Amino acid sequence: MTVGLQAGRPVPGLPRRRKRIDALPWLLVSPLAIFIVGLALVPAAYTIIASFFRVDELDPPTRFNGLDNFVHIFQNGAILSSMGNTLLYVLVGVALSTLLGIFFAVVLKQKFRGRSALIAILILPWALPGVVEGIIWVNIWDANTGLLNSMLKSLNLIENYQVFLGTNHFVTVLLIEIVQVWQITPLSTLLILAALQNIPDELYEAGSIDGASSWRAFTGITLPLIRPGITVAMVQAVIATLNVFDQPYVLNGAAATGSSVTMQTYFVTFQNLDFGAGYALSLIITIATLIISFGVLKLVYRPVEF
Amino acid sequence: MDRRMHWVRWIGVAFILLWTLIPIYWTLNTSLQTNAQVTAKPAYYVPPTPTLRNFATLLTGNGDVPDSVRQSLVNIIIECAAATIVTVVISTLAAYAFARMRFRGRQLLFYAVLATMAFPAYTTLIPIYKIMTGLGLVNTYTGIVLVYVSGFLPLATWILYNYMSSLPVSIEEAGQVDGASRMQVLWHLVVPLARPGIISTAIITFLFAWGQFLFPLVLSSDISTEPLTVVIASLQGRHVVPFSLMSAAGIIAIAIPAVIAVLLNRYIVNGLLSGSVK
Repeated sequence: MTVGLQAGRPVPGLPRRRKRIDALPWLLVSPLAIFIVGLALVPAAYTIIASFFRVDELDPPTRFNGLDNFVHIFQNGAILSSMGNTLLYVLVGVALSTLLGIFFAVVLKQKFRGRSALIAILILPWALPGVVEGIIWVNIWDANTGLLNSMLKSLNLIENYQVFLGTNHFVTVLLIEIVQVWQITPLSTLLILAALQNIPDELYEAGSIDGASSWRAFTGITLPLIRPGITVAMVQAVIATLNVFDQPYVLNGAAATGSSVTMQTYFVTFQNLDFGAGYALSLIITIATLIISFGVLKLVYRPVEF
Repeated sequence: MDRRMHWVRWIGVAFILLWTLIPIYWTLNTSLQTNAQVTAKPAYYVPPTPTLRNFATLLTGNGDVPDSVRQSLVNIIIECAAATIVTVVISTLAAYAFARMRFRGRQLLFYAVLATMAFPAYTTLIPIYKIMTGLGLVNTYTGIVLVYVSGFLPLATWILYNYMSSLPVSIEEAGQVDGASRMQVLWHLVVPLARPGIISTAIITFLFAWGQFLFPLVLSSDISTEPLTVVIASLQGRHVVPFSLMSAAGIIAIAIPAVIAVLLNRYIVNGLLSGSVK
């Protein structure tokens, strides 16, 4: 891409006219520019600045108060426990969606009848709203009517129906995160599958002459070569899981056992009307997302050439 | 392929099918039962006497719950359709300029668009609420659609930029030699050639818009603009709606995106891959 200093260059094939400013490209991009500046860049800058101000609906002149908003956040037990939960959401979600994505991609790389129908079914959870996926999985985890309880009972593995959600942090986060993994794994699979399909077959043929087993071929040839695909899959999983809202909100309500940082941002801002803390929390999640995404990139990504 | 790979494949196919379809089947199963049947222990794994009563209640019945489900279904369709149309038009114009023209500020704006994709959407939640309050657009279709458009434009522009850049320039140059203006070239040559990319962008935008929850939760204050996702979450939160009826509402909410995803999956796969792998 070159910097556009040659504005007004004559269109090839047309007679050269006198040099004048060519306004058309700016006209074409101006609606996009207005949206990006007005509803993305300016609000993002506002979040950064407002994090360091006292923002109070009842006391409009907002005052600079340094790190007070951040101090308040780290004194709030509900927010601290939501940070622990969110870390667990990220660990469970990124690990599960990546492992499942690799497994599904390896299956779908092969050619068999019905493969394209299977891909159509695979992407279904990606296309559904997170809120409704919450409803769908409440139906599975529920203590009175859930599928899991019913199956365990039918198999005589439990005497009485159990309460799974909301009893302890780890189980609650795990069960809620499975719902989000259900939603984000299709995209991980597609990204890893695309990387898999770039690997030339000759590499495997060379491997089989050496007598490498399937597993050896997988760890020795496949895995190193799909690292770019795995990286992109993991980054999208980091962004989704760090900002998780819909699934815990629907499955567990405001209960502390599953509350995420984004949920706390919503409660603090729109229920307690503490906008300063809301801005500071938004900034913390944003910075955490950028740092962890960059960390994954550094750790997992290796350039691949065939 | 050796024998072991063969087994891995069929176990994998079975696992993908069960993992994806069992949860959806279970909700469908629940939605076709009466509430008395739903509370049986252990549960009925197929509906003993399948009934569409729950769907009839929601779609044609009277009362607070059916009314809000119907109104929010209308809202979500209007909001998603409007957001899709506006996003596709704006991103097509911009992608054409980025792919085929050189102008001052091109690189700066292009990188600004890419940078916004790296940020989580909720970074801007509170300022956007403030802006919409200031403009008097809280609880209006316009406000919700503007926010959706701003959120989806970067990805849409990126997908269409990649698609248009991959088209051969020669056809457009031939058009310009014939004396067509650049807008005529865009409309009569580029748009038809880029049709698959435009369809991908439209479908992905529509599905993203359909899944939105936190933004409309903040930007809608009553049933006049609340999309179906917000209404369903609030019904669930109040614990007054029986499981059978909740499941029917869920099935209604996933019917349109599910049909789109299954029938048009090719466009989705292509769009997502050209939007993510670069």
